[in-house]
Amino acid sequence: MIDNIIHSALIMTTPVLLAALGGLINRVGGLVNIGLGAMMLSGALVGFLVAADDGSWPLALAAAGLAGAVTALAMSLIVTRLGADEIIVGLGLNIVVAGLVRFFLKSHFHTSGTLGLPAVTMLPRYDLPGIADLPVLGAIFSGHDILTWMSWVLVPATVWFLARTRAGLRLRAAGAAPGPARALGLAPLAIRDISSVYAGFLSGLAGAYLAIGVVGIFNEGIVAGRGFIALAAFYFGRNRPVATAMGALLFGFFDAIQIRLQGRGVPAELVQMLPYAMVIVFLTLVAVAARRRAQKVDVHD
Amino acid sequence: MMALASALGVTGAQAAEKPAALIIAQGGLGDQSYNDLANAGFKRGLEAAGLKGRTVESKDVVAQANDILRRASDAEFGLIVDLEYSHGTPMLEVAKDYPNTLYGILNQVRKAPNIVSVLFQEQEGSYLAGLLAASVTTDTSIKGINPEPIIGVIGGTKSAGIDKFIAGYIAGAKAANPNTQVLVAYSNNFADPALGQQMAKAMFESGADIVYHVAGGTGMGVIQAAKAAGRYAIGVDADQDGIAPGSVLTSMIKRTDVAVENVVKAYGRGEKIGGTTMAFGLKENGVGLSEMKYTKTLIPAAILAKVEAAKADIIEGRIKVWNVVEQGYPDYLK
Repeated sequence: MIDNIIHSALIMTTPVLLAALGGLINRVGGLVNIGLGAMMLSGALVGFLVAADDGSWPLALAAAGLAGAVTALAMSLIVTRLGADEIIVGLGLNIVVAGLVRFFLKSHFHTSGTLGLPAVTMLPRYDLPGIADLPVLGAIFSGHDILTWMSWVLVPATVWFLARTRAGLRLRAAGAAPGPARALGLAPLAIRDISSVYAGFLSGLAGAYLAIGVVGIFNEGIVAGRGFIALAAFYFGRNRPVATAMGALLFGFFDAIQIRLQGRGVPAELVQMLPYAMVIVFLTLVAVAARRRAQKVDVHD
Repeated sequence: MMALASALGVTGAQAAEKPAALIIAQGGLGDQSYNDLANAGFKRGLEAAGLKGRTVESKDVVAQANDILRRASDAEFGLIVDLEYSHGTPMLEVAKDYPNTLYGILNQVRKAPNIVSVLFQEQEGSYLAGLLAASVTTDTSIKGINPEPIIGVIGGTKSAGIDKFIAGYIAGAKAANPNTQVLVAYSNNFADPALGQQMAKAMFESGADIVYHVAGGTGMGVIQAAKAAGRYAIGVDADQDGIAPGSVLTSMIKRTDVAVENVVKAYGRGEKIGGTTMAFGLKENGVGLSEMKYTKTLIPAAILAKVEAAKADIIEGRIKVWNVVEQGYPDYLK
């Protein structure tokens, strides 16, 4: 039971975590990415198409990441070079990509909503010898695919990148103070574009995870608002990778729980609020704790 | 024609001559499900009634509801069947201004003298699905079936329209085996297959081996989960058996084509169907189970016979299946 919940929670967390880590880098670089969902959707479709007919999954992932990156670059250029509002462009992108996907399904496959193709290659899941059979630990570490592991490896990697590398410093400078950064010879707009492309790449992978990591079919609603949940996760984490990951995990965990509570006579309406309600509760607790800490510091001063 | 009708002394019914129109819903023609199915029935009805007719498609079906309905009404159609669910309210308004035009709307009741409402008795088809599932779930001779009498159902949202299916399913399951435990869950989303996959997986982990979905695109994930776990899903609306051959036990089919065909035919015969509600259940062949092309050989003949017997009982009125929309919620589904 507990193993199943943990395993399911990690599966529900992976796409949100990938997109959130991308959005985090993007935000540190100075762009609040509302279009993560659109990038996930294009990644999901392209990844799915490449994986169909016994396609290669590494190729499918590469294509999905590329599709997300291209979508992100288009959005980023409109914001950085044409001076458009990032919120408006991001929202618009979500609508445009959803429309294009629907049009493509209709014109090319003569179908609407759901696209099923024969012989879709799924992301392989690997059992780790020695760990797979252990309770709890087995569910946490074993039986996952490369994207789940990658998303968690990216958490400390992102911490290290932002705090310890020259590129990370430049990214932070470009985001926090584009004027002085330019005076120092950096190109803040280009840096911002690169951070968008990175966010798009990870979001494209997140989309592919949904299409070929979880279900093996494509549906125009497959992203189901996860781009916005990713946005909530890095806001929740205030741009800190570990806290962002906790936000994504919190969501995945309560999603897995709500699925299982429903079968047990708890009213569906209440249970479905759980993931969202818990995020609010935790945000409140974090804010209260932060305020307490701040007050204590005052006293000692 | 009219002269012939009156000469023969046919009273009241005057054969219609004006052409008929079919307004296509969101998704458009070519969706391989709802719209295409309805259009097939529309064509059959026209042919049988010897009428002319055409389909009306629009880029923006929902927002332009009034416009589409008025344009069709001005175009001298005698019958306008509208497949778009959201056109119910606009239709009430437009129908008032065109008292000589007959309108048809699906899956809802709109009260006006020139609107015919079409309802499906989804609970009847779902009853058969539940009966079949509960009979199969304890038969361990079938591949992928465990001995526990547990089955599941996943609805797209908690509403009377969806619970109508679910209540029928539970009633059918309890009729087959009163000890059957039916796990009920709602996805709250009709287009999230990843969620559907996880929900079905959770049900399979709790011992269910057959899960019925009433959840549109989310249900695609339920079928994928059944395939991956070597268990069974039950499809809905269209014949979904072929999506994962052998993993979809059956599908509860809604014959939109039969309904539209019958409405067109009744109009063609000049029947006064305006202001009435036409119900399509097992009896009218408006709902029913799929032919089980891929699973029929897996299921013991005795179980199939039991399902057929229940179908006959419902058609003959010996079994009355609970209708949540009309009767409210039964005790077993609160």
